[in-house]
Amino acid sequence: MLRQIKPRNARSKRALEKRAPKAVENPKTALFLRGTSCSQITQDALGDLYALRQVYSKRFQKKNPVHPFEDASSLAFFSEKNDCSLLLFGSSSKKRPHTITFVRTFDYKILDMLEFYLDAETFRSIAQFKNEKVPVGTRPLMVFAGTAFESPVPNAFTMAKSMLIDFFRGETSDKIDVEGLRYCVVVTADEPTASETASGDDPAAKPVLRLRVYTIRTKRSGQKLPRVELEEHGPRMDFRLGRIQEPDEAMLKEAMRKPKTTEERTKKNISTDIMGDKIGRIHTGKLDLSELQTRKMKGLKRSRDQHDEDDEEETVVADELPKRKRKGSA
Amino acid sequence: MSTATQKPVKLPVTVDKPTPYTFDLGLLLANDPNPVSIPPTAAADRTSLETHLTSVARDGAQVLINQLLTTCTITSHRDGVLLTLPPPQTPLPREKPIPTPKPETKWSAFAKRRGIKPKTREQRRNLQYNEATGEFERKWGYKGANKAGQDDAIIEVSAKQQAAEREKGTSVRGDKRREIRERVKRNERRMRRNLRNADGRK
Repeated sequence: MLRQIKPRNARSKRALEKRAPKAVENPKTALFLRGTSCSQITQDALGDLYALRQVYSKRFQKKNPVHPFEDASSLAFFSEKNDCSLLLFGSSSKKRPHTITFVRTFDYKILDMLEFYLDAETFRSIAQFKNEKVPVGTRPLMVFAGTAFESPVPNAFTMAKSMLIDFFRGETSDKIDVEGLRYCVVVTADEPTASETASGDDPAAKPVLRLRVYTIRTKRSGQKLPRVELEEHGPRMDFRLGRIQEPDEAMLKEAMRKPKTTEERTKKNISTDIMGDKIGRIHTGKLDLSELQTRKMKGLKRSRDQHDEDDEEETVVADELPKRKRKGSA
Repeated sequence: MSTATQKPVKLPVTVDKPTPYTFDLGLLLANDPNPVSIPPTAAADRTSLETHLTSVARDGAQVLINQLLTTCTITSHRDGVLLTLPPPQTPLPREKPIPTPKPETKWSAFAKRRGIKPKTREQRRNLQYNEATGEFERKWGYKGANKAGQDDAIIEVSAKQQAAEREKGTSVRGDKRREIRERVKRNERRMRRNLRNADGRK
């Protein structure tokens, strides 16, 4: 834990305010780390991801003796020290070659972790694609294709999707230049059956997650909307999902809370019609129909009721008797 | 582009898929819930697999750009054409907890009850007009108006004041200064009490 600092001058106060919790948050900063053993391929992959997430990322070069799924406390420390809530930890071992562990933190505590096993054969770095690169800080379009991402219950794929969105979303602004729609990150998940037939030799194979990055070129189509053509920009990464640490339920609930917004809540039962008139729907309560004044007739006068009491009673009894009989028979 | 102008062949811009796409335009995100069925021939061959993936990606990008250009309001600007995006819908975890509101002090509670507004910038300014001298002067601090008469050579003392019992070792001379110090101390005591109350309420 870092010690609690009381600002002694304006500069340190500003620095602390920058880190303080905010209702509308700053973009998450990603921290790129490596373990004691980290293959060249994993390092290249981390470098490429770092390049894609420039501005909001930090990179460490030294080796860290950390095993995230055994003890993640030092990752939480790095998160707090550097004010980063997205950590990418690269490591490589005999059992788990070319592994990138995505770690997300909430309030500088580990929220969730997921391992991405990189396929070394199909990996191609950005530098291997010889074409024009997108400028730093451009927001990508994101496309997630495949049924695996649509699972209603949270699993490794939905978590991977959430993490990748978090990673690629960058600075969310409400306005964007049309010229800024320059590149597109496409993540496809294979169908489970398809992948089994594809790699029958590997029994532990799960559906593959394929990360591709394309530059977008728009052509005139002769219609109002342009025709989109893609050209691969790199990197090209195929992942298998590995170990997973689900978020703590209470922590996730806290992390998913929305701050109260200043904009007014929509009031119930008030609407506007096409003419712009305000229409309200009100509840009038239950109508008491017993006091309702019906047509006045001589025969219905109260004074007459008293005279005919005996007759009425007889009819009531006659009505009730058959009902009782029915109940008894049933 | 020259070929497009020569023969006006309309390039297709629409994508037909059995299940419709879902969008989160605030994040520039499109979800394609259709199964990515890679043909078995493509699975073995690397290049045909890539072309298949690219076609899936192209469809997604095309649909997303179509959606962006049709549903978002477009404003032309000197620097370019801007799209106004809706706020993001996809729930993503926050980085830090929602900030807790400042605990209410006894004064702020009272001010709220009475409808007392916080002082304006002009009121908080350390400068006021002195009618007597016709000059602007500081309200507090160096040569502050609250220190007026503090260091005067002659101090008027009322009969009542003279009759009152004095604390040992003090004279009328430093009374004004002592009064200010007393007020500061009282305010600090109140501050501490507010802090204590705020801690107790948690």
